[in-house]
Amino acid sequence: MIASIFRSVLHQTRRHPLYVGLNIFGLALGIGVFLTLTLLVRYEYSFNSGFADADRLARMDERWSMPGTTPYESADVSFRAVPFLKQDFPEIEEVVTFTKTNLFVQKNGQFTHFAGQTTDPAFFRMFSLGFLHGNPDTALTRPDGLVLSQRTAMTLFGKYDVLGKTVELNRSGQKTIQVVTGILAAPPSPGLLDDVDMLLPVTPQERLTRSCFRFWGSSCGEILLKFRRPEDIASVNARLPDFVNNRAAGPADDDVSLGPAPTKTYTLSLVPILKMHFHDVNVEDTDNSVEQYVIDSIGLIGLLALILGCANAVNLATARAGLRAREVALRKTLGAPRHVLFGQFMGEAMVVSLVAGLCGLAFCEAFTPAIASMTGEAIQVDYGFIGLLLPLVIISSGLASGVYPALVLSGYQPAAILAATRMPAGGRRAALLRNGLVVGQFSIAICIVICTLVIDRQTSFMRNADRGYVRAGLLIGQQMHSQDTGLQRRMLDTLRAIPGVTSVTLSELEPNPHSLTRTTFLHEGSKDRVKVQMLQDRVSSDYRDTYQPHLLAGRWFDNAHGQDDGPSNEEFKSGNSNWNVIINSKAARAFGFEKAVDAVGKILRIDAKHFTVIGVIEDIRFSSPRETIAPEILFFSSLQRIAFDDPVPAVRFSGVARTVMAERLDRAWRTLLPDVASHFAPADELMETYYSGDERRGHLFTLGAVAALLIASLGLYGLAAFAAARRMHEIGIRKTLGATAGQTIVLLLQDFLKPVFVACLLACPLSWLLMRQWLNGFDERIALSPALFLLAISGAALIATCTVLGQTLHLARAEPARALRAE
Amino acid sequence: MLIQLSHIQRLYRSDEVETTALQDIELGIGHGEFVAIMGPSGCGKSTLLNILGTIDRPTAGSYRFGDEELTHLKEAALAKFRRENLGYIFQSFNLIDELMIEENIELALIYRNIPKSERRSRVAHAMDRVGIAHRARHYPSQLSGGQQQRAAIARAIVGQPRLILADEPTGNLDTENGTQVMDILQTLNDEGATIIMVTHSPSHADLAKRRVDMLDGQIVISVRNAI
Repeated sequence: MIASIFRSVLHQTRRHPLYVGLNIFGLALGIGVFLTLTLLVRYEYSFNSGFADADRLARMDERWSMPGTTPYESADVSFRAVPFLKQDFPEIEEVVTFTKTNLFVQKNGQFTHFAGQTTDPAFFRMFSLGFLHGNPDTALTRPDGLVLSQRTAMTLFGKYDVLGKTVELNRSGQKTIQVVTGILAAPPSPGLLDDVDMLLPVTPQERLTRSCFRFWGSSCGEILLKFRRPEDIASVNARLPDFVNNRAAGPADDDVSLGPAPTKTYTLSLVPILKMHFHDVNVEDTDNSVEQYVIDSIGLIGLLALILGCANAVNLATARAGLRAREVALRKTLGAPRHVLFGQFMGEAMVVSLVAGLCGLAFCEAFTPAIASMTGEAIQVDYGFIGLLLPLVIISSGLASGVYPALVLSGYQPAAILAATRMPAGGRRAALLRNGLVVGQFSIAICIVICTLVIDRQTSFMRNADRGYVRAGLLIGQQMHSQDTGLQRRMLDTLRAIPGVTSVTLSELEPNPHSLTRTTFLHEGSKDRVKVQMLQDRVSSDYRDTYQPHLLAGRWFDNAHGQDDGPSNEEFKSGNSNWNVIINSKAARAFGFEKAVDAVGKILRIDAKHFTVIGVIEDIRFSSPRETIAPEILFFSSLQRIAFDDPVPAVRFSGVARTVMAERLDRAWRTLLPDVASHFAPADELMETYYSGDERRGHLFTLGAVAALLIASLGLYGLAAFAAARRMHEIGIRKTLGATAGQTIVLLLQDFLKPVFVACLLACPLSWLLMRQWLNGFDERIALSPALFLLAISGAALIATCTVLGQTLHLARAEPARALRAE
Repeated sequence: MLIQLSHIQRLYRSDEVETTALQDIELGIGHGEFVAIMGPSGCGKSTLLNILGTIDRPTAGSYRFGDEELTHLKEAALAKFRRENLGYIFQSFNLIDELMIEENIELALIYRNIPKSERRSRVAHAMDRVGIAHRARHYPSQLSGGQQQRAAIARAIVGQPRLILADEPTGNLDTENGTQVMDILQTLNDEGATIIMVTHSPSHADLAKRRVDMLDGQIVISVRNAI
C-alpha cells in the first residue's frame, strides 16, 4: 500500500507537474510562514518565563490620576515604600530596587556606553541566575562590586574569567572604580535582563541623597518583589490602597508624604513579571513591550497562512479529482473497496504534506534570520520545538487537505463515470466548496493587506506628523548634569560660536525626556475653580528660534520683561511672587479656555504664588505617539539669576551637513565637559524607540500579506487552470454562436474574479473593525479612509487578474472547431 | 448562389505527419437548398462543415458567402459573420450544462446585442416551433436526447440565420426522435431556410433536396434527389 502511494505520487508528479508543484509550494509556504511566526509568538510569550519561580515575581507600579490629566501608570516609582513592604506584608519574601543607569567607560578620550542597572544584593536571591564566574550571594554585597554580562566581559577584557579586575566607570561625569565580582551566564529567557551590560549595588550615599529614596511622589527606578506563593501577588495587590493610606499619608505641606488622602490621586499596583512584556505597552518609563493582541494577530496570520495552504491543497485536489475519475472507476470495477481507495488518496495527501512540511522547514530556516533582523528580536530556529511541532503540522495539514478530496474521489460511481463523455466536476456542492475556499483565501489575504496598509500609513503618519516644533535642522545634546549658571552660560556661548549654528537654547525637557516634573496649578474662573496637573519645562532665550514651536496666542518670553524670568526651585516651593508663563494648547483646554487667546492674561496659582499666562503654544510631542500629550507649562530663565536643573542643549543650524555639525558640537561639548559623553542627535533618533516597534511589526504584516496573497493566487491559478480545461468546450460553443474573443475574455474574467470581489465584501468590514481597535491605541491617528480599502481591493483584483489572465487568453483564443472537440 | 467554395484544401500538420482532410473542394449551394453530405468516417464531412461554418479555416482556396470572400476575414469579423448568418446543430447537441434551456437558446441573441424583451419573445417563439416550451427552465441534463436536440435546433433558428449547418443531427437519437428532428428541418427548409446537413443515414439524406458524397477529403458525387 505504502509503495503504491509513493508510486502514485511520483506518477502524478510526472503527469501533472504544475498541479503537484502548486499544491506542494502553496502548502510549504503556508507551513513555512506558520513555523516562523510561531517561533516569533513563542519568543514574545516567553518573556521572563525562564526565571526560577517566575510566577512568584512581580513589579510594583504607581498609578497617578491627577486633576486635568489622563490617569497614567509608571514603572519608575518612589523607593520610599521599600522599607515598609516586608514589614507590612509577610507574604513578601524579597524586595529589591532596580534602577536603569547609563554607564560609560572612557578610554583614550573615547566613551563606550554600557546599559547598567543598580540594584540590591538580594537581587540574585530573587532571580536565580547562572554565573560563569563569581558567587551570586556575595557579588553585590561590597559597595564597589560589579557584575558583568558575558558580552561586556568580552568587550572590556576579551575573556570571561576576569574576577577581581577593576573597571573605571563614568556616570554622568562622576567616576568610580568598581571591582568585577561576577560574570553572568546568558539569561534563561528574554525579558528583564535584555541588553543589561552591568549590575552594580546601590551605594549607601544614594540611599541617603536621592530624592526617590526619601520622598513619596518622586521616582527613579523599579521595585521588584518575590512572594512566598503565586497567589500572594493578587492578595497583596488588593491591600495596597490601605498600605498607601497608612504609609504615604501626611500633612498637606509635608514634602515627604502625599498629603492627608493620598489614594485620591495615587495608588500602587503589582504587575506579575510574566505579564510585564504585554502589560507595559500602557506603562510609562518602560521599554521592550508590545501589545498582546498584535502578537496574537501575528500568530493568527501564521495560522491563517497554514489554513490557506491547506485550503489551496483541497481546492486543487477537488478541482483535479475529475482527472482521476476514470482511474477510480476502473479500480472499483476491478474490485477495489471504497475504504482502500480512501486510504490510497489520504496516503497521497500525507506524502504531499510530508514533502511540503520539509520544504516548509527550509522556508522557516530562510525566513527566521530575516524576521529576527526585521523585528530586532533574538529569534532562532529551535529544532527541539520544531521537531515536536512539525510532525503535528504535517499530520494536520495532510488530514485537512486530504479528507474531503479523498471522500469525493473514493465516492465516484464507476458506471456513471465510464458512461459519461465529460469528466465529473463534483457537482454544484464541490463547485461551491471550491469557490468558497477561494473566497476564504482572498478574504484573509485582502484583510491582511488592508491591515498592512493601515499600519504603514499610521507609522508613516506618526513619523511625519507635526510634533509642534521643527525637527529639520535641529540637533539635541545630552543632559548636562549641572546646576551651575556659569557653566550653562558658557555652554550656550561655546555652541553659539560654532560656524553654522544659528541659535542655541537650553531646556529641561527634550524629545524622549529623561525625567518629568509635574505640579498641579489652580485657575479660579468666573464660574468655577479648575485644577490641572502640568508637566513643567524651563527654557532659555532662543528656545523659540531653536525649537520653533507654534505660538497660538500671546507673546514669547523676553529679557525685557522682568517677570518673565521664572522662579528658582526654592522660590517655587516657598515664594509668593508673580511670574509669567507660557502654556500649551492642551493645558488651555484643560483649564476650560475655549480659544487659546482666552487664556492669555489669566492667572494660575499655587498657594500664594501667581503665574500669569503670557502665551499659548501648540502642543509639543516629546513623548510616545501612544501617550496622550500632557498639559504643559513653560518657565523662562535668562540665566542671569537662576540655573537649570540638568538642562539639555539644543542647536538649530544651517548650511552644514548634519553629521559634520554633530561632530563640531561634540568637540565643543568636550572642551567644557570632558568627562561626560556627548552625542548630539536629531529629534527623530532620540524618539526612534517610540516608532521602530510599530514599524517592525508592520513589516511582519507585510510578510504575512505577501504570503497570503501568494498562496491565495496559487489557489486561484489552480482553479482557473481547472476551469480552463473544463470550459474549453463551452467556449467553443459560445464562439460558434458568434462570441468574440473580447466577449469571452470579459465573461471568463467575471467568473474567475467573482470570488475575489465577494472576498472584498467580507474582508473590508472585518479589517475595519480590527484596525479601528488598533488605531484607538494611538493618541494621534489617521482616519480609516475608504481609499486604503479601495487600494487593497484594486491590488487584489489586479493580482487576481494577472493570475488568471494567461488561462483566460488561452481559452479566449482557442479556435472554435478545436475547442468543440475538447473533452 | 449563396455559397461558393473553390479549390478548398485543409491540411493538418503535426511534428511528424501531414494529413489532408480536404482536397480541392468545389461546391456551390443556392438559396433555399437542403444539402445532405454523406461519406464514411474520416472522409472530411465534419471538416467541410466546420469550414462552411467558419469555425475552422481552409489551408487554401476560396469561400464566398453571397458576395463576401470569407477566407481573409479576421477572427472578430468571422464571429460577427457567424452570429448574423449561421445557425448550428450538432450531433452531441452542445448545450451548455450550466445554463437553462431558455438561456442556452437566448445565448445566440445575446451576442447580437438584441434587447432583452425582443430576445424573450424570439426565444419563446423558437421553443414553440420545436415543441419544448414546457422545458424552458430545465437544465440540459434534465432533458431526453430528442428534447435536447430540439432545443439545439431552437437555438440554431432563433437568430433567423441565412444558413443552418447540421452535423449529424440525428446521430445520437433513436428512430422516433430522429424522424421528429428531420421533420423540423424539412419544415424549416420548406419555409425558405438553406440547410447543409452531414449525416450517416441514407434515409435522412434522401429527405434533402441534394446529396453530396465524399471520400478521402474529396467530393465524389453531387446529385439532386428526386422528391
